[in-house]
Amino acid sequence: MTEVRNPFADPLRFERRVPECAIVIFGAAGDLAKRKLLPALYRLAYDRRLPASFAIVGNSRTPMSDEEYRQRMHDAVKQFSEDGALDEDLWKRFAANLHYVAGDVKDPQLYVALREKLNTIGQANVLFYLSTQPSYYEVIVDGIGHSHLSAAPEGAWRRLIVEKPFGHDLASAKELNSRIHAVFREEDTYRIDHYLGKETVQNILALRFGNGIFEPLWNRRYVNQVQITAAESIGVEGRGGYYQEAGALRDMIQNHLLQVMATVAMEPSAVFEPDAVRDERAKLLRSIKIMRPEEVDQYAVAGQYKGFRQEPGVNPDAQTDTYAAGTFFVDNWRWAGVPFFIRSGKKLPKRVTDIAIQFNQAPLALFRSGDGEEKPRPNLLILRIQPEEGISLLFLSKEPGSGMRLRPVSMDFNYGTSFGERSPSAYETLLVDAMVGDPTLYTRQDMVEASWTVIQPILENWNNRRFDFPNYDSGTWGPSEADAMIAKLGRQWRNS
Amino acid sequence: MSTTTAVQPERILKDLQQLWAQMAVDQADSGGVLRACAMTLVVVAENASDADLVRQTVGVLMHNHPSRAVILRPSGDGGGAADLDARIFAECWKPFGKSQQICSEGIEITAGRGGYAEVAKFLVPLRVPDLPVVLWCRGTHVLASAAESGLLEPLFPLADKIIFDTSQVADADSALQFLRRLRGRGRRVADLHWTRLTGWREVLAHLFDDHALRPDEVKSAQVTFGGPSVTTCARYFADWIRTALPGVKVGIAADASSASGDGPGGIRSATLSTASDNLTIALGENHCLEVSGCGRHYRSLLPSESEDALMQEELGILGPDLVYERVLTA
Repeated sequence: MTEVRNPFADPLRFERRVPECAIVIFGAAGDLAKRKLLPALYRLAYDRRLPASFAIVGNSRTPMSDEEYRQRMHDAVKQFSEDGALDEDLWKRFAANLHYVAGDVKDPQLYVALREKLNTIGQANVLFYLSTQPSYYEVIVDGIGHSHLSAAPEGAWRRLIVEKPFGHDLASAKELNSRIHAVFREEDTYRIDHYLGKETVQNILALRFGNGIFEPLWNRRYVNQVQITAAESIGVEGRGGYYQEAGALRDMIQNHLLQVMATVAMEPSAVFEPDAVRDERAKLLRSIKIMRPEEVDQYAVAGQYKGFRQEPGVNPDAQTDTYAAGTFFVDNWRWAGVPFFIRSGKKLPKRVTDIAIQFNQAPLALFRSGDGEEKPRPNLLILRIQPEEGISLLFLSKEPGSGMRLRPVSMDFNYGTSFGERSPSAYETLLVDAMVGDPTLYTRQDMVEASWTVIQPILENWNNRRFDFPNYDSGTWGPSEADAMIAKLGRQWRNS
Repeated sequence: MSTTTAVQPERILKDLQQLWAQMAVDQADSGGVLRACAMTLVVVAENASDADLVRQTVGVLMHNHPSRAVILRPSGDGGGAADLDARIFAECWKPFGKSQQICSEGIEITAGRGGYAEVAKFLVPLRVPDLPVVLWCRGTHVLASAAESGLLEPLFPLADKIIFDTSQVADADSALQFLRRLRGRGRRVADLHWTRLTGWREVLAHLFDDHALRPDEVKSAQVTFGGPSVTTCARYFADWIRTALPGVKVGIAADASSASGDGPGGIRSATLSTASDNLTIALGENHCLEVSGCGRHYRSLLPSESEDALMQEELGILGPDLVYERVLTA
């Protein structure tokens, strides 16, 4: 369908309209739906971003009436909405278009029932959201295909959102891609990585390519190293069963953190259009040097906190990595030789996700730092993703008084105080993008496969060995091997 | 928190520094205060009592647009530089769930209307360096002063954006001509009466997003308003449709059934006509717009028209506003 330009558009004043459509959520009684999806959709309705006829069809195995499902989701939205109390009048209007179809995703009758429900609702545009256990993805996609629910009427669309994990290794990711493509075209497939929907991750692009001062420094001549940290202070919190199959490498690094790394290190695209931006991200992911098997022990570290094996649902002999760290290099002219250290773990001292870009020190140490260190501290540009979103630049300043003693000081930009207005949650952003057909912040097949390719040698090594777990205490920054890994390259973690 | 000081820019800035230092000490137990500033907002109040309202509105605006606010409070009739007086204040708020207060600073300058040339000299050092300056000329009298007497002229070159409100003007055409003249002189202007149209415009634009009709199907359009004379809002609406759909005949008519305009800018309805149908957006009850025609029939709630909501929207646009400029100069 040819898109006609809207002559009344005024993007400075109002957002593009979400087209009339329905979203079918598989796994609609699950945690993700309750904590993220329904609160995000309700908030979009609150912000008048959804058309009046927008409909939600939830599916899970639990038998429930529409009314029972609405009540459950009412309670969930009330509990998990990030800001503000639930507006009961608005909820009534919102819930009127909230439907439920019970059924097993393996049962072909479910898809017949979904078709009938969609016909009753009368929406031609349909977004399918896979929010179930990953093992059901292929079954559901097959079910949608066999029932022809993926076939849109003339001028309408059918799209698919797939939650992570997208496969559990390279082979399974390829297999899943192949099964999806038998039913949905790549341009109708939206692989969600909610990190890419975070305002602060999007702001990395704004910082790099909207300002003139950073990009000239953004290369191997000036950058000494990059550290990407995603730390959680909590453990698996009842998700032990899922987590012991995933682990930190699969759960965080393969998807979120490699995508963040790609955003930090990619080349600028010629235009800010979905495929142009995604091409650059994909190129960067393909440029990451693949570890040789004998290099894995040198460049990757697994850890497990003490007490993980005693968590409910966890195998007492589990080899799961609740901590993973890796050293990655990018084989291109911009980044050759610059180490990217990535780590993620549970039960670390605090919850923080940030990217620290450490610059080379001044070529000549004119001044000694105040605490008598031989070398002054390097400049750091810190992009804070959570919890306090913002950007800090650390540089040296003269201490007041006589003499020339230097002390590091921080220049801070805080998102919350510079832009008082509320930032949309990642799921609000990404759901709207999928509904209006903008895949910029979604991962593409080649990006997923490239990031699995990076991780695959580590997975193969770790799958074929027995670790001496547990190897770190709760409340510490992970196993000592991670410190040793980075120390071999003359660096140390920024544990602050 | 506020203190009075004479109008000497260096002294005011020094007093502000002391104010911040004192607040840091006072709030040390709760993590100090965070000073936030993204622009200088200069507000010309209509009169002394209006200045108190301005202070309240500025306090609300600062949550989303932290700024150094400079409120110009008229001292009475005439008057000049000799009447100048100033006091400084801080507006603080605590974000939900946080212990640390965020604060922005303000300066209230009392001046006779004849003293704006002198005020302009003081404003140069009082601006926050390198950040945008927005001048908000609040109220009808201020607009009349600007248009007729030129009293505000010395302030205009200091501002990156000048915001007026033409909602109460008796002569819409004269007001628009004044704004056009300013724009023609290179000033970036805004009008809160245009901002009041956003809800209407959004509903109309979404009809085209939804393909309720195609631009090339529209043959003519009509905007109706209530009240005795055409408003700037009605003019803007018609000109916006005209610039979006060149060649389409767009009329403006008074709604005989309505004595006064109770909707934004007195707008009662807008109708786009195709060869076979009419698509109408009409002001309904409970601050709603009713959409009918071309297979559509629904209601849409208009956004808030409170002054602070309108200002929030305008302060969010500090660069060129091409759509408004195109409409203003149409």
